[in-house]
Parts: sequence; structure tokens; C-alpha cells
Amino acid sequence: MKVTVKHWHAVAQWRWDIGNNDTAGNEDDDDGDVCGICRVPFEGCCPSCKMPGDDCPLIWGECTHIFHMHCLLKWIGTAASKQQCPMDRRPWVTAERKV
Amino acid sequence: MATDAVRAQVAAKWQYAFSRLNRGEPGISGLMTFSQAWRLATEFLRPRVLTDRSGSHIEYNADDFRKALHLINRCHKLPALLETFLDDLRKAFKLVEREVEQHMAEYERTSGPTIINQFIMRVLEWYKAWAPPADLGNTCLSTYTLNFQTNLFSILPSSFPPAFKALCASTLPSPDPDAKLDDIISSESFWSAAEMLGLMDRYDSLVASVGYEHIEGHVLSTCAGQWEKPVLGDLKNWMADKMIPWMLVTYARNAQTTEEVRHLLQGVGSRFEFHMNKTLCDLRTREIFDIIIDFPDSMGALQDLKECLQRVDQRSALVQSLRKANRKRLLHPGADTKLILTQYVATIKCLRIVDPPGVLLFKIADPIRRYLRERPDTIRCIVANLVGDDNTGDSLVDENEPIQPLQQPDVDDYTDPNWEPEPIDAGPEFRTNKPSDIISTLVSIYHSKDLFVKELQVLLAQRLLAVLENDIEKVDKERKNIEILKIRFGEAALQVCEVMLRDMSDSKRIDTHAQMQKPSVVHPTIISRQFWPALKTGDLVMPGQFQKLQEEYASEFHKFKPDKKLRWLPQLGTVHLELELQDRTVDVTVPPLEAAFIELFSQQTVWSMDELIEVVGSIDRSAALKALITWVDLGVLKEDVEDTFRLLEVAEDPSAESRERRMAPVTPDVAPVMGAQQQQAEKIKVYWKFVEGMLTNLGALPVDRIQSMLRIVPGYDQTVEQLTMFLEAARREGLLTVRDGMWKLNR
Repeated sequence: MKVTVKHWHAVAQWRWDIGNNDTAGNEDDDDGDVCGICRVPFEGCCPSCKMPGDDCPLIWGECTHIFHMHCLLKWIGTAASKQQCPMDRRPWVTAERKV
Repeated sequence: MATDAVRAQVAAKWQYAFSRLNRGEPGISGLMTFSQAWRLATEFLRPRVLTDRSGSHIEYNADDFRKALHLINRCHKLPALLETFLDDLRKAFKLVEREVEQHMAEYERTSGPTIINQFIMRVLEWYKAWAPPADLGNTCLSTYTLNFQTNLFSILPSSFPPAFKALCASTLPSPDPDAKLDDIISSESFWSAAEMLGLMDRYDSLVASVGYEHIEGHVLSTCAGQWEKPVLGDLKNWMADKMIPWMLVTYARNAQTTEEVRHLLQGVGSRFEFHMNKTLCDLRTREIFDIIIDFPDSMGALQDLKECLQRVDQRSALVQSLRKANRKRLLHPGADTKLILTQYVATIKCLRIVDPPGVLLFKIADPIRRYLRERPDTIRCIVANLVGDDNTGDSLVDENEPIQPLQQPDVDDYTDPNWEPEPIDAGPEFRTNKPSDIISTLVSIYHSKDLFVKELQVLLAQRLLAVLENDIEKVDKERKNIEILKIRFGEAALQVCEVMLRDMSDSKRIDTHAQMQKPSVVHPTIISRQFWPALKTGDLVMPGQFQKLQEEYASEFHKFKPDKKLRWLPQLGTVHLELELQDRTVDVTVPPLEAAFIELFSQQTVWSMDELIEVVGSIDRSAALKALITWVDLGVLKEDVEDTFRLLEVAEDPSAESRERRMAPVTPDVAPVMGAQQQQAEKIKVYWKFVEGMLTNLGALPVDRIQSMLRIVPGYDQTVEQLTMFLEAARREGLLTVRDGMWKLNR
């Protein structure tokens, strides 16, 4: 018998590629990681956005911390931030994505 | 022992009496004339048998009688005469009594009211014959009448009142519209006879009840089940045409002027009219449930009811009756939720007509709303209706009704010059139910609209996932629906649905791009998982070429969106397959699990079910069985031994065995999306660890304490009620025990 797939209407979820190893055992991280500032999952959107995904992207720091871009920019914009990463208080440097 | 004094006293008395009767005539001649006069008078008055007309009245002529009377009067003996007369009357009444018995026996044999009529006429003759002449004065006449009546009533048997009633009823206008009024006129003599004999006064209520029953009979026979047009006007005309003439004869025979007639008929007329209203009102109250079912074809009945209720205070009876009917006919497990909703909506519309302030509605709706709240599928039903999911066509929502935002129950505005207080019979919890739209009312069955939004999301997810990616129309239809619902529920509440719809269009765009780069048979719907309801995920691993297809597509996606990656939800979606077998090709569209299995059969022709399950990952046995039976049904597989399936390269007639197996119970298809309630349970399960730890460390705790401690947990948003339900569920599973409101781990 030969099985030919003519059309496959599949369903998938998108995830941000945040570099963690997803080859194995990623079934458990169902809750996903959350933004350290707004506590909303990365795949959600920051409090000021309505649409997730490309409209509310992430930002990577040299310090390996990841936030919603809007959240982090808002934080950096405040005087109290002293341009530091809110997680480790090191000066914030946006990392180049190595894709 | 007669002393002298006594003797003297008696002598004096006797002397006095004698002189009075003798009137100072010589000797005892005065006494003689008196006794003659007395004899004449008593003889004259004595009641006689009617038949001997030749009798005594002629013997004594009236002049002699008058003279005798004069004489007796002079002797102050009139009262004594009257007494003797009445005594005679009593004795003579035996004659009447005999006739009464005769007539009643006759009536009982024939039961024709004419006998009674004859009988009354006959008694009237007796009455007239025995009446003392007018010379005796009015007092005498009325004493006679009273005595005659008393005697008559005392001898009337118990069967007389019903007979009299039947006679009265026979005087009523017949329901036949052609009947002339002559009958009524002819009964006039009967009515005056009855009045003269005092029967009217004695049987007043009986006569009235004849009228009532006639009205009742007419209303019931003409109006029952006639709901389309208002009948009250017709009834009023009927009253004027048929009842008023009868009432005129019965009650206002002797009236000379119209003014007098009006005066005489005022009381009884308004009583009859009230009775008509009440009868109609009672009838409609009994029919109200069916009237509501028939709405809007029963407008007439509702208008009648409204008018009647203003005259007759039957509001509480209406509430009782409808509540009872609802309980008996609507609020039971046999009724479909959709049906209950439809009837509820009809009830709202009907009662708005009957009682605009909404007091009745509030009282009647309460049990329905409470019952609906207990039904698990109410929300689903309402939401399905909102989005036009059902194909039955009769939507709860009126198409013509403008779409408007949900209305919140507003507080009384006391600065409003048109403000009116609550109606007088409003219950304590009565909320002024402003005429709001139906959807607002339905949504207000629940305390918050969040439940609806959640259910809506679930429903939308189901529908969107079923949409094939090239079917733009369907997505657009959903979009339109959502736009309409946004007006109702507000923009913010449906934001999530907006994201879902955008995922659909994004998927389409991404797919177009991906197909351009590298054509593939895979056309996925890519969803933003935070914005879709929890989807049934499992550990299905697609075998063989499917996995390859997935990987290829995923890498293509990664190239297009470098910062994102795909995670497949293999249980969802559909696969269009073509199977090339030795003697035939099979072209089918199946769910992914079926596709996975058949792919495995292309590698190896015989599989046991356990092997299959192991290869594709841990899935339900029942789901696996269902998938395999799909292929058995299609004649592609055959179950040779139990749980072992073989690929049929050459078609075989389905054997008896496989047919039997086909009948095997297959668990009903589970929805790919979990219902809102299921999600709720899933959500709170996360917190079980916390509860367990808490109770281990602190021993027994009341629910409030558990709740306040759980609040510290990030993301905890359950109410105390939800928590209590959860704890209850845990208790049922034997994990917890509760005593005096203190929850404890069951160890």
C-alpha cells in the first residue's frame, strides 16, 4: 500500500525561539517563560499591546535576560532604571540575535 | 284560696270586658251582635279550598263584612281576629302542602321547569285567594304575606331550590343568536309571581348564580383557545345584547324611568360584568402557558388578560398558575435547554405586554433563571444562538432588534422627573426591569458576562479550527459575528477573539509565503497559544512521512520568522489521504490519528493495537480503537484476532465478526477544545500542591484561611466559591475531610 498525503490541515502553535534546547523534554514547559517585568508569558503580549507575536516582540540582553521589548524600553526610559537590566542590575546591552 | 281581694279583682275585670263587648247595649244584646259579627268576619276570612268557587265569599257580602269589622274594631278585638285568621291559615296550609307535594313529584318525574312555573302560578292563586281584603289595612296585609311566605318556605322540599334554579335558567336567552326576545318577555309573569311570593328575596343568590353560570358558560364556550383576537369587546357586546334584557325583566320589571332602571341594575350589572372579567381572567390564567407557547399568535389573549387584570385582582393567581405550569411542563430534565430558553424569551415578551412594569415577570422568571443557572449547557446554548450556530432557524434574538451594548441594572435616578416608585406588589428583591433587550436579560442570568466570553472563545476556537485554510468566507463570517458581539460585550472582552481571528489570517499569509518557497501539502493554522482556549494536547507522534512533512514545514517557517518556531499539535486538524491498494484506491479525509495508523500499516501489514499505541505515543485506547474502526469501516483494515488488525490489500466482504465489532461501544467523540468548566477545573488543580502543603504544615484550616493564603500564589484568581467547590471535589475523591468547616488532609 502506498499512502499519499494530498492535503494536511494541521494545527501548530508558534513559540519564540529563545534558544533553550527544545529537542527533548520541552513537553513540560507548557506554562512557558514569562517576561520578568510584566509577568506575562512571552507568547502573550505586554500590558500596552493587544496583539501578540510580531507586534509585541521580545528583546534579548547580553546578560541573557529576555523581556517584552515594550516592557524593557519603558523600564529603561525611567530614571530609576539607570539603564540597567532589571534582573541583574548590569548595564543593559541589547544582544545581537544569533539566528 | 280566693281571697276577697282576688275575687273583687276578677269581678272587676270581667265587668270591664263585658261592658266593652256589650258597648252599653241593654241586656246582652250588644254581646249578641258582637258574636254575630265575629262569626261573620272569621268565616269571611277563613282560607278555603280554591276549587269551591261557589263558596262563602259570596254568601257574605262585603258590606256586611265591613260592618262586622267595624263592630269588632270598636270592641278592640281586631288583633284577636287577625290571630284567629292566621291560625286558620296555618291549618289550611295543608291544602297547599298537598299541591306542593304533587307538583314536586311531577317535577321529579319529568324534570321540566314548566311544572315549577305552573306550580308557582298555582301558589300565587292560593295567595291571592286567601289574602284579606284591603279594608283590614296594610299592617294586616303584610302580616298575612309574611305568614304565608313563612308557611310556604317551611313546606318547600329541599329539591325545590335546584328546580327553581332550573326554571330561572330556562328564562335566559338561549345561546342561539336567532332566538327572539319573546321568551324573555313571556317570563315576566313568572318573575312577578316569584317576587310576590317572596321567592326573589329568598333565592336572590340563586338567581344571581344563574346569571353567573350563564356568563361563565358563554365565556368558556366561546373564548377557550381563541387567542388570536381580543375577545373582551365581543363579550361586552354580548352582555349588552343578551344579558341586559334578561336583567331588565328579572331585576327592573317595575322600573318606570330609565333613571330608575339604571339605579336598579347598577349593583347587579357591575357584579355580572366583574364576573365576566373574572371568568375570562381565570380562563386565560389557566391557559397562560400555552398562550406563551403560541406567542406571537396569541396577542389578543394577552391584551385581554391585561385589561382583565386591571379590573380583577388575579395577579398572584396568574403568577402561581404560570409558575406551576413552568415547573410541571418546562423545568424538568426532559426539556431541551434550547426549548427552555425559547420559552423564557417568549415569557418575557408576553409578560411585558400584560404587565409593563415587570413585577409579574420578575416573579415568574426567577425560578426559570435559577433552573437555567443549574443547567451545564445553558451558556453554550445562549452563545451558540448568539453566533447563529444552530441551523434550526428560530433564533432567540429578534432580527429586528437593534444590537446594543449589554445593559447593567441601573440605579434609581431620583432626579428624573418621571421617576416612579416600585409597583405596590413588587417583591423585596425586585429590580426595576427596564425594557432591555433579550440578550441582556439572558446574559444577566449569570452574575458576570465573563462566562459567556469564555464560552464564546471556546466555541470560536472549535469553529475556526474546523475551517480549512482556503475558506476565507467562513473566517469572514466569524469576524462579522465577533464584530456584532463586540457591540454587545464590549471591545475589551473580545480582544482574545480578535487575536484568534488574526491568527487565522496570519496563518494564511505565512502559508502562502511558505508554499512559494517550497511547496508542501501541509497547510497549518498557526495559533497564539496564550489566546486560545486550552486545546487537547497529547503525545501523539506522527510517524513516517508525516513527521518529515512537519519538520520540513517547521524549518521553512523558521526561515521566514527567524525568531519563532513551530510546535505541532498533532491531534488537531484533518488529513486528506489517498491510499493506493492493489485493487483499489481509497480517497478519504480523516483525523490525524487515523492517518498516523494507516501510515504505520503501509510499513507493516499486521499490527496489534498495543504496538500501534506504543509507536504513536501514549494515546487513549478508546481513541485508538475508534481510529482503527474508521479504517475497518472503510474496508481497509480487518480485525482478525481481537486487537490485531491486518491491512486488506485486496478488498474482502466485511465478515460478520467485523460488523459485530463495529457495533462495539465507541466513546463519544471528544471535543478538541476543553469546555470552559473543564478549563476551570484544570486551572484550579494547579493549586492542589499548595493546599496540600498548607494543610500538612498547619493541620486543619477553614476555607477562608486557605483562600487568603492562596492569594499569595501568583496568578491565583479563584473565588472562595470556586475554591470550596474544588475542596468539595477533593473530599469526594477522599483526599480531604471536613468537620465544622475545617478542612483537613485525609490520612
